[in-house]
Amino acid sequence: MLARVANNLFWMGRYIERAEHVARFMNVNYFSSLDAPNQLSQSRQFVLRSMLFMVGDPVHDESLKLNEPDILYDIGLNPEKNYSIINSIKVARENANSSRDLISTELYESLNKFYHYVMNYPTDTFVKTNLYDFTVNITEMTAVLRGKIRGTLLHDEVYAIIMMGVNIERAIQITRIINTKYNDALMAKGSYGDPIGNSFEWTTLLKCAESYDMMRRLYKKSPNSTSTLEFLLLNGRCPRSFMNCINQVYKHILEIDKKVEYAKCSTAFMVGKIRAEFEFKQIEEIQEDIQGNLNLILNKMFKISENMENEFFHY
Amino acid sequence: MESATDKTIFSSYVRKEGLFDEVFKNNGDVKSVYQKLLDLYGSRSIEDYVNLNTKAKSSFFNQGITFQVYGDKQSQEKIFPFDLFPRIIDPKEWEIIEKGAIQRSLALNHFLWDVYHDKKIVKDGIVPIELLSSSPNYLHQMMDVDPPSKIYNHISGTDIIKHSDGNYYVLEDNIRCPSGVSYVICNRTALKRALFGVFNHYKTHTVTNYAENLLNLLESVKPPGVDSPVCVVITPGMFNSAYYEHSYLAKAMGVELVEGRDLFVENDFVYMKTTQGPVRVDVVYRRVDDLFIDPMEFNPDSALGVPGLFAAYRKGNVTIANAPGTGVADDKAIYTYVPEIIKYYLDEEPILKNVHTYHCSRPDELQYVLDHVKELVIKPVDEAGGYGISIGNRLTKDEIEKVKAEVKANPRKYVAQPIMSLSVHPTYIDEKESFEQRHVDLRTFTVLGHDQQFVLKGGLTRVALKEGNLIVNSSQGGGSKDTWVLKQ
Repeated sequence: MLARVANNLFWMGRYIERAEHVARFMNVNYFSSLDAPNQLSQSRQFVLRSMLFMVGDPVHDESLKLNEPDILYDIGLNPEKNYSIINSIKVARENANSSRDLISTELYESLNKFYHYVMNYPTDTFVKTNLYDFTVNITEMTAVLRGKIRGTLLHDEVYAIIMMGVNIERAIQITRIINTKYNDALMAKGSYGDPIGNSFEWTTLLKCAESYDMMRRLYKKSPNSTSTLEFLLLNGRCPRSFMNCINQVYKHILEIDKKVEYAKCSTAFMVGKIRAEFEFKQIEEIQEDIQGNLNLILNKMFKISENMENEFFHY
Repeated sequence: MESATDKTIFSSYVRKEGLFDEVFKNNGDVKSVYQKLLDLYGSRSIEDYVNLNTKAKSSFFNQGITFQVYGDKQSQEKIFPFDLFPRIIDPKEWEIIEKGAIQRSLALNHFLWDVYHDKKIVKDGIVPIELLSSSPNYLHQMMDVDPPSKIYNHISGTDIIKHSDGNYYVLEDNIRCPSGVSYVICNRTALKRALFGVFNHYKTHTVTNYAENLLNLLESVKPPGVDSPVCVVITPGMFNSAYYEHSYLAKAMGVELVEGRDLFVENDFVYMKTTQGPVRVDVVYRRVDDLFIDPMEFNPDSALGVPGLFAAYRKGNVTIANAPGTGVADDKAIYTYVPEIIKYYLDEEPILKNVHTYHCSRPDELQYVLDHVKELVIKPVDEAGGYGISIGNRLTKDEIEKVKAEVKANPRKYVAQPIMSLSVHPTYIDEKESFEQRHVDLRTFTVLGHDQQFVLKGGLTRVALKEGNLIVNSSQGGGSKDTWVLKQ
């Protein structure tokens, strides 16, 4: 596969995945805040700030009053903001365009339809009444795209590159979401026992990761900070967990780099090392410094991505 | 009173005197080959048809088979206009077209070899040397280069029309980077999706075998000493208007679609940069114009090409299809010599007719042209895409004077032909919500390989959508139709 095209496919995977997480985060946070148990969590300003924090554009001025339609527009449909959903879909399609000969007609057609759907979405209705409709459709359509990636492509190097992109982005987004909700929990404390550990925000966090039901099935208790973090970071069977993402990334890098012994600077070596570290990690170790550890994870994922550019995408 | 829903789709079709209608005879009867089709379409209401038309359009749109229109603020995507009423060519007529297209392509190939080697045809006084020496498309770099399997014009697009006398004439040969074949396949797909029922009544040749045959023939012209050649398609990039076609062909052949920056040349061999390191490339199907393929040899500002590609080609280490320098054989001045070229190299009579052409470079013919501007089509010799053409009977007095002055100033630049009346075909016109006569031509696609030839059984029927217009190029607002070649 051409190095340039591999680069494009990698980023197509990343942007499809990114659009989904941003859409779901908006949806879950906005709608669960409407009947949240404490006042702060119910506050619209709190939710909007949380959204901006998640997309990487945090508001530091506490007295600033945010305008809801503006913020929703920025994150959803503003083509000028590089974190917006519309921009992610645009870039995903652009990347697909330049590798159209390698992906299936079915995948391209779905992505193309998705693009036109987002491009033609009426801004007015979106910010006033259709936040739910829009964000749900984004998550549905990205699921369709993942289905087409999985179901219509040859499971070879092309597939592996796309899936590397998807899983690296998922690990990054999940970590960002955890970080954001941890930040929220620090502010919107629970009303009994350990105020941070029992915050309502942990439930929201699980829902943001589409993992609430399965977490309840496994732990059979209301989520608290420890169980939620353990589930989302270290449980390899939870499809959205960091552990699962890094397992997937490892599986796919072996498809691309088929050497028996890896050079220490290779991406395969790097991914394997991170995976080994987290396989035997305890949640208590992470809890010693949650935000510090989340940032470490993020940096590791950025490093992997960077390393891939140097190793495979050089043209 | 009839409501719109009661109207059948041909109820308001008007046949104009003097035009050759592909579907109706002069007395108004339907030609036998179209009878069944007309019964099937005729039973539908306009509303039905509009519905199907809309669906077919959205199918094109969703598949991303579009081109960009640049507006004030944002660029817009548009689909190429497509008509759901197909054109049918019966097997006997097709045989002539197919044989004629192969004959022309082979003769032009001989011609190219000759003009880049001994120039016998010039020495024998058939083609004047000035035509070559004054042609901007003649590449001196190609002198004495032996392309693998001696083939230059691997892929030819021959534009053929049917005149009001009922005969086919060749209007133009395109042997540089002819495009349009992907639309042949898309049109078929769209028609099958919308009106699959009609295919039960006709035995139509497939067009989806093009890519397979193309790859076969490209592999057959591999450089000597290569066992299983690696082929690639090279494109100027995704902003090129034919990018969809480039990506389609690469996908359908299962080969890489590369840009200039993906390739490099080392020791006169060509490599592509892959995730697993360099991979040698043997055959390049290029969709980049001559002057841009290699900045070291041609246009030094080209960012689209591959430095050193031409040197590798000259060494025989890579095949370029079509070969550089083919443009010298498809310009409108050489066109007029094609009948002689066929006789000279193949010792055969031309199967497809040429439109009679007056060369403004010859003084007596120039005088005739100047005296008869009103009855002639005057074309620049070296422009493609329907630009710069003037059609005599459409011009005002002032315009005629302007054309005369221009031709007089640059006689070598122009040729003139009698105004050919392209045949007309019923075509659905959106604004009118009805079928009307529109002029059509046919672009056929011929592929030459090592001792083998292939003509796609079908082709692109291009339609001039403006009423009365004779220029069918898509850049001039043309549309297209699916084209059925029936089995014997």
